[in-house]
Amino acid sequence: MKLTLKLNGTPRSADVPERTLLADLLRDTFGMTGTHVGCDTTQCGCCTVHVDGQAVKSCTMLAVQADGCTVTTIEGLGANGLHPLQQAFSQCHGLQCGFCTPGMVMASVDLLRRNPKPTPAQIAEGLSGNLCRCTGYVNIIRAVQQASQAMQGDAP
Amino acid sequence: MNAVTPHALLRKEDQRLITGTGQFSADAKATGMLYGHVIRSTHAHARITRLDLSAVLSTVGVRQVLTAQDVQAAGFADLPNVLQVKDPQGQPQTVCNMPVLAHDKVLYVGQPIAWVVADTALQAQDAAEVAQIDYDTLDVVVTFEDATAPGAVQLHAQAPGNTSVKFEAGDRAAVDAAFAKAHFVSDIAIESQRLVGSPMEPRAVWAWHDETKGVTHVHTPTQGVGGMARFLAQITRWPHESMEVHTHDVGGSFGLRSTAYSEHLLVMLSTRELKKPVRWVGSRSEVFVSDWHGRALRLHGHIALDAQGHILAMRFENQVDVGAYNVYFSTHIGARNLSITMGGAYQVPALHMSSHIYFTNTVPVSSYRGAGRPDIAYAIDRLIDHAAHQHGLDGLTIRRKNFIPPQAFPYTTANKTVYDSGQFESVMDHAIGLSEPAGFAQRRADALQRGCLLGRGLAYYLEASGPGGAAKDQVRGSFDAQGVLSLHALTGASGQGHETSFAQIIENEIGLPTSAVRYLAGEPEQGLVGNGTGGSRTLYGAGSAIKNLCQQLMTQAKPAIAALWTCSEADIAHAKGEWQEAGGAKRRLRFADWITSLGAQAAEVHAVGEATSGVTFPNGCHIAEVEIHIATGVAEVAHYWAVDDVGLVISPEQVLGQVQGGVVQGMGQAFGEHAIYDRETGQLLTGSYMDYPMPRAGGLVRHFHHETHAVHTGLNLLGSKGVGESGCSGSLPALANAVTDALRQVGAPPIDMPFTPAKLWAAILASPHKP
Repeated sequence: MKLTLKLNGTPRSADVPERTLLADLLRDTFGMTGTHVGCDTTQCGCCTVHVDGQAVKSCTMLAVQADGCTVTTIEGLGANGLHPLQQAFSQCHGLQCGFCTPGMVMASVDLLRRNPKPTPAQIAEGLSGNLCRCTGYVNIIRAVQQASQAMQGDAP
Repeated sequence: MNAVTPHALLRKEDQRLITGTGQFSADAKATGMLYGHVIRSTHAHARITRLDLSAVLSTVGVRQVLTAQDVQAAGFADLPNVLQVKDPQGQPQTVCNMPVLAHDKVLYVGQPIAWVVADTALQAQDAAEVAQIDYDTLDVVVTFEDATAPGAVQLHAQAPGNTSVKFEAGDRAAVDAAFAKAHFVSDIAIESQRLVGSPMEPRAVWAWHDETKGVTHVHTPTQGVGGMARFLAQITRWPHESMEVHTHDVGGSFGLRSTAYSEHLLVMLSTRELKKPVRWVGSRSEVFVSDWHGRALRLHGHIALDAQGHILAMRFENQVDVGAYNVYFSTHIGARNLSITMGGAYQVPALHMSSHIYFTNTVPVSSYRGAGRPDIAYAIDRLIDHAAHQHGLDGLTIRRKNFIPPQAFPYTTANKTVYDSGQFESVMDHAIGLSEPAGFAQRRADALQRGCLLGRGLAYYLEASGPGGAAKDQVRGSFDAQGVLSLHALTGASGQGHETSFAQIIENEIGLPTSAVRYLAGEPEQGLVGNGTGGSRTLYGAGSAIKNLCQQLMTQAKPAIAALWTCSEADIAHAKGEWQEAGGAKRRLRFADWITSLGAQAAEVHAVGEATSGVTFPNGCHIAEVEIHIATGVAEVAHYWAVDDVGLVISPEQVLGQVQGGVVQGMGQAFGEHAIYDRETGQLLTGSYMDYPMPRAGGLVRHFHHETHAVHTGLNLLGSKGVGESGCSGSLPALANAVTDALRQVGAPPIDMPFTPAKLWAAILASPHKP
């Protein structure tokens, strides 16, 4: 089945089997391997991308459902440098192995879009659909707080 | 969109990982790549009466189907068992090795039976659906009681009673004598339940065969390419030089990525036979039933005390479930790691342990973060707390009376382990000082106002780090024309940040900025020896080799500096990253400036650093306050304080990260994680993240405070003790002691992990003084 979408600012087309998942389209067809697949039950969130500006677990959306949509992956996030969330994840040591990080960052960007000044409890709630096995989440929550302040123009 | 100018990132690894440009094994694609899929057993115990794969082979896209006969024809050995022990009568352990593919019998759900290779992953998966397999099912055993019951179904003909070995360590007679004269005795049975390790990156492997050189290149997540290459060579029986293992980014390991699995061997066999690159990527559902499981231990601890509260003896009777086969490190866990520090941080004159290592119809068990260390630490400090409470003694006083004092080092334990250093009472006081003990009564009263039981638990753990499989660790260092130092060694990271901490050691030793250091893990042609990442040993193992490398580089530089300054070598010294002239013009020159000034000649400055590093003894005190909501049984860690003696600290942020991550993995085990098998069918009931409660952000720990309390170790050149497993070892006993203390308020007896809301709620409901 043919589809066209705007991926990280560039129009892209593909002809894929109907059952192709968006995550597989992004990874296998378009080579956007920053989107990771960590489970098969929509629990881990490693595959989180933005579809028309909203965070979506791309392992649970058919590629054809994204026909005509604007899709942003981790590779397209900081087009002019690092996004404040990417920077905060590093500076707060919010990643270790880095496998969950792209999904974690994409989910966090959407979280701050919906709630620019979240409390730590709201961050934890907002990221409860993303699993991390390394960090214990302590520094991930700090990173989102720091990015929130940076994006408000406050000193981090 | 809010883009900012990039500036300093914390770790050298971070740039690629935060931008999605890391290189994980499932990210690779190669021309003509084919895709493998494993056909797995759907039964826990059965004879295979028919295996007809003809329909699979004739499915569109299928290139190859392999069964046990093909693996045997290739001459492959079974998967190895790393350590074989003897029983007290001197009889060697019965070792039952796991075949790459099951022959005529399957022993657990998920066991690989056959292998399909097709043009696409979906074709391989679809083809597997039409496999015709008939099973003659057998009785199933998944518990110790069922496996060792008289007349129980036997998994292996050579292992009566489903027993691999009844191992013993220590002095049984001395312990018996101590118990006979004890004033107080106490015992408690604990279970460290079976877990699924779950690194976030599912296991993956791809390989291609270089026909011209006769070398098979294997790309897969490992904890170090050397160990993986050794296992692959041992199983394939191919010459070492005919394979190279490549590891790039690794999405977590926790012990699970140190060994070769069936899929590695099948990919290698297929790529050689089909002359195409072949890839396998596990789905999460698959790796739940095929990654080695962790823990699965029961320990029954006994303690004998005199009238003053001095410990006279400890004894542990263990049940060690290794799953269906002896794979890799399960004996190492059940025999060595449980026994080597079985007295913990305490002076215990008599020690004895027995480990009944047995088989069940479950996924085989191997290393998972700590690999026996958290389990024995949990048993020891639960036992001390339990004994203190049972006999009206104070737990802190008992610990103070029995800690090995600083002046006693080196200290040889009753079972002949030599500890080198420690300041256990100081570390405990450090932790207590942080933990606002005076405010506890008020916090408990406040919690009760909110309908919660607050409990406080303290634990002191001590663990022995990994001995390593290789005798020494080597690291090669060489400079390019820009003065950038490239380091090569075998140890690979999976989140520990080797690239950063190794560069920090270089900066500390010779003042080269971390930006001028590049670490590459695993370059097979370098011919180095060394250990992988595991047993908390990389920082001091490879790190000591790096320190030795620095010493050699300085030795090489010194005559050159002397020649440059036309002075005697005796007149120059190195301090704080620069060469200093003692007399004369008192000139100064930084190592970094000197190496850069050499230009292309910098390539002549190189060395192989090496170090032999023994087992170290990281230790620490963790204190937890756990709040249990009375109406729902939901537990939350209100406060967590940890003080760890990890020896010399190189990278404070990464040490903190390791402790936070380890403690939360401990919380995962304490409050929910449990691989549960159905007793009748042997089906894994918790086979996905929908049923297996991984720790998630929030609801875990409200306040976390960590400090280090470094006591130098002379056991390695660097002076570090390691930190990777500390968080698990400290958290299990601290959390369990806190939960027990909370339940005690309502008169509820101790319960075992995992402290799920259902169990806690039931315990409170059944308690004599429920609110």
